[in-house]
Amino acid sequence: MLQCIFLLSDSGEVMVEKQTTAHRVDRAICGWFWDYVLAHAAGDASKVLQVVVSPTHYLFQVCRNGVTFLACTQVEMPPLMAIEFLSRVADVLTDYLGDLNEDIIKDNFVLVYQILDEMMDNGFPLTTEPNILKDMIIPPNIVSKMLNVVTGKSSNLGNKLPDATASYVPWRTTVIKDASNEVYVNIVEELDACVNREGALVKCEAYGKIQVNSSLPGVPELTLSFANPTIINDVRFHPCVRFRPWESSQILSFVPPDGQFDLMSYRVKKLKTTPIYVKPQLTSDSGNCRVNVMVGIRNDPGKPIDSITVQFPLPPLIASADLTANYGTVDILADQTCLWTIGQIPKDKAPSLSGNLRLEEGLTHLHTFPTFQVKFRIMGVALSGLQFDKLEVKNTPSAPYKGFRAQTRAGRYEVRS
Amino acid sequence: MFGLQASGAAASWVVGRMGTDAHLYDDPDDASIPTLLDSRFDADKLDALKRLLALIAQGVDVAHLFPQVVKNVASQSLEVKKLVYLYLLHYAEKRQNEALLSINIFQKDLSDINPLVRAWALRTMAGIRLHVVAPLVLVAVKKCARDPSAYVRKCTAYALCKLQDLIPEETAALEETVDVLFSDNSPGVVGATAVAFNSVCPNCLPLISKHFQRLCETLPDIEDWAQIILIDIILRYVIARHGLVKDSSIFASSLSLESQGSGNSAPTGNGTCGTISNITLLHNYIEEYSGCFDREGDKISSSSMISSTNNDAALLLKCTSPLLWSRNSGVILAAASVHWIMAPVEQLKRIVGPILFTLRSSPDATYVMLGNILVFSKTAPALFALFYEDFFICASDPYQTKALKLEILTNIATESSIPAIFEEFQDYIKDPDRRFVADTVAAIALCAQKLPSITTTCLEGLLSLVFYESSICKSVHFDGEDAVLVQAILSIKAIVKTDPASHEKVIVRLVRSLEKIKEPAARSLIIWIFGEYSSIGNIIPKITPAVLKYLAWSFTAEVLETRLQILNAAAKVIIHSPEEHLNEFKKIMAYVIKLATCDLNYDVRDRARFVSRLLPHCRIDLKGKDSSCQSHNEDMFKELANHIFVGKMPSAFQVSNNYRIYLPGSLSQVVLHAAPGYTQLPKPQSMELIHRTMETTIGVGNSSESINSDAESGSSTYDSGSVYDSESEGGSSDRDAAGSNKYSNDAGHSFDHQNDNQEDLLVHVYDTSVDQGQTARDVEENFSSLISTDLTELISKSTLETWLDEAPAEPVQASMQTSVARVSLTNRSFDRKPTSHTLLDPSNSNGLSVLYAFSSEVSSVSRLLVCVDLLFENVSTDQLADITIKSEEAAGSEDGLDQTLEGSARVPTIVLDKEIQLLAPQQTAKMVLQARFHHHLLPLKLTVFCNGKKHPAKLHPDIAYFVQPLLMDLNAFLCKENQLRGMFEYARRCTFKDHLQKLEHIDDSTEHTDKNVLVAQSLASKILSNANVHLVSMDMPVTFNIDDASGLCWRFSSEILSTSNPCLITIVAQGHTSEPLDLTAKVNSQDTVFGLNLLNRVVAIIEF
Repeated sequence: MLQCIFLLSDSGEVMVEKQTTAHRVDRAICGWFWDYVLAHAAGDASKVLQVVVSPTHYLFQVCRNGVTFLACTQVEMPPLMAIEFLSRVADVLTDYLGDLNEDIIKDNFVLVYQILDEMMDNGFPLTTEPNILKDMIIPPNIVSKMLNVVTGKSSNLGNKLPDATASYVPWRTTVIKDASNEVYVNIVEELDACVNREGALVKCEAYGKIQVNSSLPGVPELTLSFANPTIINDVRFHPCVRFRPWESSQILSFVPPDGQFDLMSYRVKKLKTTPIYVKPQLTSDSGNCRVNVMVGIRNDPGKPIDSITVQFPLPPLIASADLTANYGTVDILADQTCLWTIGQIPKDKAPSLSGNLRLEEGLTHLHTFPTFQVKFRIMGVALSGLQFDKLEVKNTPSAPYKGFRAQTRAGRYEVRS
Repeated sequence: MFGLQASGAAASWVVGRMGTDAHLYDDPDDASIPTLLDSRFDADKLDALKRLLALIAQGVDVAHLFPQVVKNVASQSLEVKKLVYLYLLHYAEKRQNEALLSINIFQKDLSDINPLVRAWALRTMAGIRLHVVAPLVLVAVKKCARDPSAYVRKCTAYALCKLQDLIPEETAALEETVDVLFSDNSPGVVGATAVAFNSVCPNCLPLISKHFQRLCETLPDIEDWAQIILIDIILRYVIARHGLVKDSSIFASSLSLESQGSGNSAPTGNGTCGTISNITLLHNYIEEYSGCFDREGDKISSSSMISSTNNDAALLLKCTSPLLWSRNSGVILAAASVHWIMAPVEQLKRIVGPILFTLRSSPDATYVMLGNILVFSKTAPALFALFYEDFFICASDPYQTKALKLEILTNIATESSIPAIFEEFQDYIKDPDRRFVADTVAAIALCAQKLPSITTTCLEGLLSLVFYESSICKSVHFDGEDAVLVQAILSIKAIVKTDPASHEKVIVRLVRSLEKIKEPAARSLIIWIFGEYSSIGNIIPKITPAVLKYLAWSFTAEVLETRLQILNAAAKVIIHSPEEHLNEFKKIMAYVIKLATCDLNYDVRDRARFVSRLLPHCRIDLKGKDSSCQSHNEDMFKELANHIFVGKMPSAFQVSNNYRIYLPGSLSQVVLHAAPGYTQLPKPQSMELIHRTMETTIGVGNSSESINSDAESGSSTYDSGSVYDSESEGGSSDRDAAGSNKYSNDAGHSFDHQNDNQEDLLVHVYDTSVDQGQTARDVEENFSSLISTDLTELISKSTLETWLDEAPAEPVQASMQTSVARVSLTNRSFDRKPTSHTLLDPSNSNGLSVLYAFSSEVSSVSRLLVCVDLLFENVSTDQLADITIKSEEAAGSEDGLDQTLEGSARVPTIVLDKEIQLLAPQQTAKMVLQARFHHHLLPLKLTVFCNGKKHPAKLHPDIAYFVQPLLMDLNAFLCKENQLRGMFEYARRCTFKDHLQKLEHIDDSTEHTDKNVLVAQSLASKILSNANVHLVSMDMPVTFNIDDASGLCWRFSSEILSTSNPCLITIVAQGHTSEPLDLTAKVNSQDTVFGLNLLNRVVAIIEF
């Protein structure tokens, strides 16, 4: 059981302290934790392990947008429960507040307290389903804010218990008002690839999520089937998905929650190619290092590839760097990384980045080579090739509008040089 | 353009803040909070409460406003109510009495028509933790367990956990409610009940029997958090009920998994990198087997095995397997653990995909997941062999993740996958993170040892790395580069060791690179390799003379470490050298020794002398005169030298054998020590024997509970890591025995007090450092196998101590730890010399003198009465008649100060055993008065009647006699003390001087009468004469300094007469016996006000 939850800012300041059990935790633990962060990750909490052993407590931490969610316990408990819970808290708060950062947390601290209190009782998760939470604690919107400014009062607490707490489908409120009777299904894929120093594709796989945005009245029954379900290697489902139909015939059958949610996430392994190639070349002799990076389309997905960026950390022991590109912009960021923003690949020329790195005095050759991180985005295509067969909606008074979209981004796309 | 954007951003920021509570967080103090709280308007109250919340968030203590806040609990506004509850829960424990004011409102709210209000009331009422209201909460819980709203029932289940914490003695009643709630219709309630079960009665597995079927069916429907808990419960149930599955992974003799395809993925049984045998796994998981490592695995398991077709076991697997698709990584790991332990081998591969998928889909879970996969992969490498690509390292992984992945890759590498893995390793070597590169180099060696086919390739690669690194290190020096070089040579050394003769050329090339390599550690290693293998093969002996000459030449330029290695290597060369070179070598050796004997460093001189003695034939040149007389010793020296220099090295990979394994998915597995509260799986089929074992399990349960509560209270129990140790010891030693004295730190004490009853002075010496040393070593071992060295630094004792110093730990505990060994004294023969006080002075009572002294007897009439011995004396010349005593307040109304509760009206204020009819002059008479004090500080007003006259008198209470001795042994004492920590504990400092006079008396006569004993006795008798308590123990430090009394410790136990609450007194001394001692007195009592007053009284007794 989690004895306490702290929200820390990116400078280690305690923003919120919520004791959840009778065994209080002094906030001095946060000071200890931050010393640890400074010592082991140079002040960047996102680089610290998720489980940290302090002299008095076991600490779990999850870091999102510079906000650290820190929980303490002194007894055995499943560590993943704590970590998952903290990330759920982070997700719920992001959902409520639109974003997550130090100012937003502080500005809405009452709301944060109310949410934390409802999400956790006696160190154990109580209500974590966003739909129920939103009925109990109404998210701030522009109207309530204005009302607050004008009249000085507006309650954000629901005054009665949502019915869904009692139902078998706790993720769905039974009465959904003003449903627009439409459902959107969206595939968002991330392409993970790894190209080794020889230029060979070591690993290429797509990690995808099916996001559904449903606005349907009543208790609709949805069935979603794929044209090629066999290509899927691994799956994880939202609790609304029934296991039986998937086991027998790879069909997703579910009663959706209202609003946006991740229906399932999946992985398609062993893809053959990446849509673009990035060929870095670093040659060094007598204290100089020539850098040359070529980017081009390898396998045209049929839709424009945009937001292409290539980023790499400059090798250590570099005295100066002089890098230019024939297309796009090149920036050397504060943390000694070089960011080359390309955008879309032009039709008439192949973008390339070239330049010279001067090594420090006494060093003739470069001996560590950076890894290039590639980002891109393609709208309208799922690179894994996963396709929907059909989406059936039952139990609704009238046929709803159905929309489908797909999108692929680069996930962990790494090119070693 | 840019400016416009900036102002736009600022504007949107202002809009974003508008209507939020930002101003309250920024300036919570800018309005008068008390005034706002007293306002009639909800809006004002809300404003004030939000300000208070902001102050709490910022760490300001606003408990002083408690009374004003509490009265708002009656507010009709839900929002006000909620905020008041938040405040209440934060402070109620500090302000118990005021918190009581809110109870009526909770009671009322519990019957509100709005279920939300009922739930909130129950949550808060159970959460404020007042012992006084615990019975009320218990009633409320029983009522709410049948509430129509599922949400309220769910909160009821959680309230059970809180109650269990508050009133552990009511477990039976709570268990009943757990049972009721388990049969609930709503999956949410069942899930919450599983949580309650785990905290109320985790050992009551029979309770699960009747619900098992339904629990399994409901499992997919309940919330993911509760799934994690429930999976664990039903797994324990099935094991306790039926036993383990025969063909499961932990029983399968070899996990070859041929069904995996790829025929050449042969199991690597001879793997040197710490594969875990299944039996070890079994020992670590299951309680029963943890004590008997030496027994045969087959023997222990044969009786308690079931086939996988057992209904319950099959149902367990069936209901957990869909959960491998959960969106919650915790559920996936829990379900995977069930399969790991219970599933037949052929079903086991089902878990591989899902757990590997979490590495990508839940990035936050990666570290924990990898830690568990590491154990799986050590036991069943073949399971993951095909999925090696998932463990390839991303540049963005944090270091610990990389290290774990490397280790897993080494474990699962097979002949078919090694080329791809090796190619990856080659890429990693160019990574900028040099620490990770060093790990990779080490991993290469492990792979090469495991798979002989790649040995040559590995060596080639490593050699070129050595040459490359040495060329870099020469030019520029920067962080971590040396480590890579040294690790590369270490790896070569490890590979070469497997078959030195065939890797001769490698050794030669390495030795030839000596000239280029400057790093001392690397040079030393190469010199060692040269010395070790100088006689092997055909080529090495040929270069030996040249190398030896080179080493002798460079000797003076080397650092200490290398010089020592040169001496060793030279000695080895001489021992192995063939006849033809011997003379040449001897000359070189003599030269080296000559240099070494003149060395500045005494280690080198020492080593030179040592070597020259052992190799007498070298000494001839050095000191010719000695040789003749000791020549007969030569054979013996040769033998010795052979033993010392040619002895076989023990295998370097035995370290991995003490790798600790805990249940998959547990916190202990991640931190690699048993966390408080960690329990192994129950003994297979232990449920049939439930009646016999019931008592022992309860015993174990209770003691582990108190450990938990102890640990949770945030006190200094982490000293010397005893909490961890007690748990892990409990695992490895006999469980029943461990159950009774689990407080390993105090195990010595409890042993001590077996002999408690003896009357004479018992002195037991025991050495606590043995225990602690063991612990420390355990911890060391534990962490040496840990990859991340960060944790080692983190948990190191010094860190613990610095933390302890900062923490507001009780001085008593801290000082107890300082002495290493202690002597415990047990002596009952203290004289009690009660002190008398004057009740009535003869000068103003016509010559009647009344003295009184509190007696240690306990009233037979009522426990509210305190016995006082009265001594009447007639100092006048006249006779005194009709002496009696009456209470002045007898007729008066009851005072509100009365602390006692029921039945107070029936107990009279005073009871006399007799009246004195006549008292002649100079005559004395005794009388026992039993008095009921209304307050333990205010005097009782009495009237003494004598000769028909009234004489007012005041009987001053002595709180030290409001208690009676509570007989207990030290173990029970410490156990009780642990339960009464935190707010139940008060400590004060004082000084003790009495012993100084006594010391003066005996100073000359008996020089070696232990002054400590004297001090201990004088204080103990002083306390026992003035307070009605029981001496539990006296601990004395054993120090070299006779004069040092630091660590002297007395423990007294007592029980409050009126309430029977135990009251524990601990006194610890510090300072020298020749000076006034600094004492720290500490009282632990549930009745805090009483405890504090008693403490003051004890201090007064000590000081005067």
